[in-house]
Amino acid sequence: MRKVKTLVKKEIRDILRDKKTLVMMVVVPMLLYPLIIIGMSIGISMFMQSQEDQEHIVGYAQKYAEVVSRLEELYKENQEELDWQITFVPSRESSEEDREAADVWMEMKWEPGDVELETERKPGNVELETEPKSGNVETGEPLHVELLYSSAEESSLGTKRVLEDILEKYREELLLENLAKEGLDETILYPVTYEATDGASLTESFGMDIGGSIGMMLMVTILLGAVYPAIDSTAGEKERGTLETLLTLPVTNFQMILSKFISVSVFACVTAVLSVLSLGGSVLFLIFGISDTMGEQLQGISLGAVLPYIPLLLVALIATALLATALCMCFCVFAKSFKEANNYVTPVLLIVMFASMTAMIPSFRLDYKTALIPIVNVSLMVKQIISQQLQMPLAALTTVVNFGYSILIAWILAKLYDSEAILFSDGFRSFRLFQKRADIKAGTVPGIGDAVISITVVLLLMLYVGSAAAVRLGGLAGTAINQILILGVPLFAVWYMKSDIRKLFSLKRPKKHTVLGSVILYFGVYCLILLTAAVLTNLLPQSTSNLQEAFVPIVEAPFPLMLLVIAAMPAVGEEILFRGFLFGTLRERLGRPVLAIVISGLVFGAFHMSLVKLIPTFLLGVLFACIVSETGSIYMTMGLHFLNNTVSVLAMKYPEETERIAPIFVEESLSLSEMAGLLAVGAVLTVVGWRLLKRKVRV
Amino acid sequence: MIEAIELCKQFERGVREGRRTRKEEFWAVDHVSLKAEPGEIIGILGPNGAGKTTLLRMLGMLMTPTQGSVRITDGAGEELTELTDKKAAIGYLSGNTKLYPRFSIREYLQFLGELYGFDKTHIQSRIEEIFRVLDMEGFADNRIEKLSTGQMQRASISRCLMADPKIYILDEPTLGLDILSADAIINFMKKQKENGKTVLYSTHYLEEAQFLCDRIYMICSGRIVACGTPEDLMEQTGCSSLRDAFHAIYEEEKTEDRIQAGGARG
Repeated sequence: MRKVKTLVKKEIRDILRDKKTLVMMVVVPMLLYPLIIIGMSIGISMFMQSQEDQEHIVGYAQKYAEVVSRLEELYKENQEELDWQITFVPSRESSEEDREAADVWMEMKWEPGDVELETERKPGNVELETEPKSGNVETGEPLHVELLYSSAEESSLGTKRVLEDILEKYREELLLENLAKEGLDETILYPVTYEATDGASLTESFGMDIGGSIGMMLMVTILLGAVYPAIDSTAGEKERGTLETLLTLPVTNFQMILSKFISVSVFACVTAVLSVLSLGGSVLFLIFGISDTMGEQLQGISLGAVLPYIPLLLVALIATALLATALCMCFCVFAKSFKEANNYVTPVLLIVMFASMTAMIPSFRLDYKTALIPIVNVSLMVKQIISQQLQMPLAALTTVVNFGYSILIAWILAKLYDSEAILFSDGFRSFRLFQKRADIKAGTVPGIGDAVISITVVLLLMLYVGSAAAVRLGGLAGTAINQILILGVPLFAVWYMKSDIRKLFSLKRPKKHTVLGSVILYFGVYCLILLTAAVLTNLLPQSTSNLQEAFVPIVEAPFPLMLLVIAAMPAVGEEILFRGFLFGTLRERLGRPVLAIVISGLVFGAFHMSLVKLIPTFLLGVLFACIVSETGSIYMTMGLHFLNNTVSVLAMKYPEETERIAPIFVEESLSLSEMAGLLAVGAVLTVVGWRLLKRKVRV
Repeated sequence: MIEAIELCKQFERGVREGRRTRKEEFWAVDHVSLKAEPGEIIGILGPNGAGKTTLLRMLGMLMTPTQGSVRITDGAGEELTELTDKKAAIGYLSGNTKLYPRFSIREYLQFLGELYGFDKTHIQSRIEEIFRVLDMEGFADNRIEKLSTGQMQRASISRCLMADPKIYILDEPTLGLDILSADAIINFMKKQKENGKTVLYSTHYLEEAQFLCDRIYMICSGRIVACGTPEDLMEQTGCSSLRDAFHAIYEEEKTEDRIQAGGARG
C-alpha cells in the first residue's frame, strides 16, 4: 500500500505539471457551465428586453378605426401588464406594402354570423346582419378579426400574443355589456367555470426541460476530465519512454495500474465535483444575480428540495467518473502515442455523448431497466433529480450498478496491463481514417476501429440529419436520406482509405450454382424468422398499432416510390454498409469468418433499434453475411434484401390483399399448427439451401 | 550473482500470406543459459534482432520468460524469490528507460527512495552522494525535459545508483553518445566492477567490448553461438580482433543455418 501511495503521489504530481490537463480539468468545467447557462440566459433576456422596448406596429384598414380605437384604449389601460410596445397604424388602401410593414396585420370584417343562433339568443339582431355597417359594434353583429403574423419572427409573435390578450378583453367587455342590456347575470354565460392548474411544479417541468441536457453536459465534462490524464498516464508514458523505467521499479504491474487508475479517477472526480459546483453556482447566479423572466421562473424552484440530492448526485457522478476512467484507460493502454490514444478515445467520447443524449428525450425515465445501462442511467438520474422525481431505490441501484461496471472494467484494465504484448506493443494500427490520405497505401483494408467509427458516424448522422429530414420533409424522405447516409459513409470511408472496393465489398457476380442454394436458404431462414418473430410478439406484447400509425404517411405514398425507398435503397445501402464494409472489414481483420458473421449480424440487428426486431434482424444479418461469405457476392444478398423488403412493402401497402393471399405475413399471432408448419418447412429449406450452397461443383 | 537457466521467450508475429495475415510463433530467445558473478563485466553481442534486448529484459525482470528462469542471489548468497526484491537488486538501463520529463532529477530520486522504502535522512544523504559523484548539482533542480543529452545520461545513471543494486543490466548504454559521455559510462561500469558489482551489458561496439568485458556471449537468432573471454573467442576463430572473430562466428552460423534449411528441404 505504501508503494501505491508513493506511485499515486508521483502520478498526480506528474499530471498536475501538465498544463493541458489543468485546462481540461479546471478551466473547462469552471467556464463551460457559466458560459453556457448564464451566457444563454443573458442572451435570451437581452433579446426579450430589446423586443419589449421596441415599437411594434399593428396595421389595420382605415375603415375599422372605430373598433381599433377601442382596442387602443384597452391596450393603454393594460399597458403596464402587457409590457410590449404597440402602435396601431391605420392604412388607407390596405396595400401589400402596408401589410408587410406591420408586425401584425389585423384583417377585419363584419360577419353575417349564424342566423339561427343569433335569433334564438337575440331576436332583435336578425335584420342587422344583412348590411356590413361602418363598424357599429354595439349592434351586436359579430366582428371577425384575423391576425396575420409570422411565427418565425419574435416581434410578430409577441405582438400577436398581446393582441390576442386585448381582443379577449374586448370580447369580454362587449359580452358583459350585452348581458347587462338584456338584464342577465354573468352566470348565464358561464354556467360552468373551470380552471386548469398545471400539476407539475415549476421545478418538475423545468427539470424535464433542461435536466436532460445538464445530465449530458455533466457526463461529457467528466469524460473530458478523465480522458486527458488517462491518455497521459498510459499512452503518454509509452510515448515518453518512461514505461520501461517504471517496469524496472520494485512494484508489481497490479500496483502500477492501481495507482494509475486511482490517480486518473481522482482527476475525473475532481472534474465531476467542480462541474457540479460550477453548475450549481451558475444556477444560483441566475436565480439571485439577475432578475429577469428566466430568473423569476427559476426562483420558483424550491432549493430546499434539490439540495438533499446533491450528495447523492456526487456519489453517482463519482461512480461514473470511475467508470469513465476505467473505460478510457482500457482503450488507451493499447496506444503507443498520444495521438493514437486520442484516436481510440474519440469513438468512446462519441458513444458516451450519444448515450447521455438520450436523457434529453422527454418521456425517457429512470426505471429498473434503464438504471442498468451505464452512462444513460446517471444522465437520467440528473434529469430526475432536477425535476424532483427521483425514487430512492432507483438512485441506489444506479449508483451500485455504476460502481459494479467500473470495478468490472477496472478488472479488465488490470488484466490488460498485465499483458506484455500490450505493454511492449507497437500499438494497433486500427485507425486509417485519422491518417492523412496521402499516407495511405492503395488497397488498404480498413481496421476494426475504422468500421466502428464509420458506423457511429452513420448513427449520429441518422439521428440528426435523418430525423430532421423526417420531421421537415416527411417519413419517406427521412428514410430515403437515411439510406443515402448509410450508403454514403462507407463509400466515403473506402474512398478515403483507398481500399480495394471489389474485394472488400465482395462485388462479384455469383456463380450460377450458388444462386439457387442462396434463394432456397433464404426462404428457409425466412420461415424460421417469421416463426421467431411470432414467438417474440407473444412473449413481448407490444402494441403494433403504434408502429402502424407511424407508417401512415409512408403508406400513402405511391407504390413505386415506396418500393424504391423502402426496398431498393436499403437493399443497396444496408448491404454495402453491413455486408460490404462491416463484414468485409471483420472478415479481413479477424481472420475468423464465423466471428465476422455473428458480429456483423449483431450490429445489423442492433442498428434497427427495436427490441422486437432485434432477434429477427440479427438472424437476417447472420443469414446475409453467411451468403456473402459462401458465394463471395454481395449482389446475391442485395437481391434477397430487396425481395425481403418488397414483401414488407406489399404487406404495408396492401394489407387486405396480402392477408388474402399470404396471411402468414400479416397475422400477429400464429396457431400452433402454423408454427409447426413454419418450423418444418423452414428447417427443410434451410438444410437443402445450405447443402446446395456448400456443394462443390465439379468442373 | 545472476543466472539464466534455459531462458526462452516466444513472441507472435504476423506473417503475411497472400491477403491474410497469419499469426506465427517464433522464439526471440531460445534456451539461453548464462551466469554472471560479482566483479564481472559480461558483454552480450549480436546483430540487430538477435534477441539481446529481450534477453536483457527478462534478466531485468521486465518480461516474464516463456520457459526457464532467472536466479538472483544477494550478497550473502541467498536466493531472492520475490519479484519486487529481484527488481530492487537490479539496476536496469536502456535507451527506452527515460525519466519523467516533468520532474526534476532530485524529485525523481526522492520518489525512488520512497518507493524503495528508505527513510528520509537516508534518501537525502544518498542523493547528495550521487550528485557529488556524478557532478550533478548544477542541474539537479531543472526539469528533466530541459536537460542536455549528456546531463540526461548522468541522470539515468543516477537513477540506477539510487537503490545501490548488486547487479547492473545495461542495454546498449553507449549507443549514440559522444566520446566523453561514452567514456563516462565505461568508467562507471569499470568502477562498479571494482566495487564487486555484476555488470551485464549489450553493445554493438566490439572494440569497447574487447577491452572491457571479462566474458562475452555472442547471440544469434535467440541462441548463444559462442561464449568465453575475448581472448578465447579470438583464439577459437584464429582472429586478431574481436571484430574479425564476430564476423567469423556469424558467417559460420549463417552457413550452418543454410545447411539445416537445405537438410530440412531434402
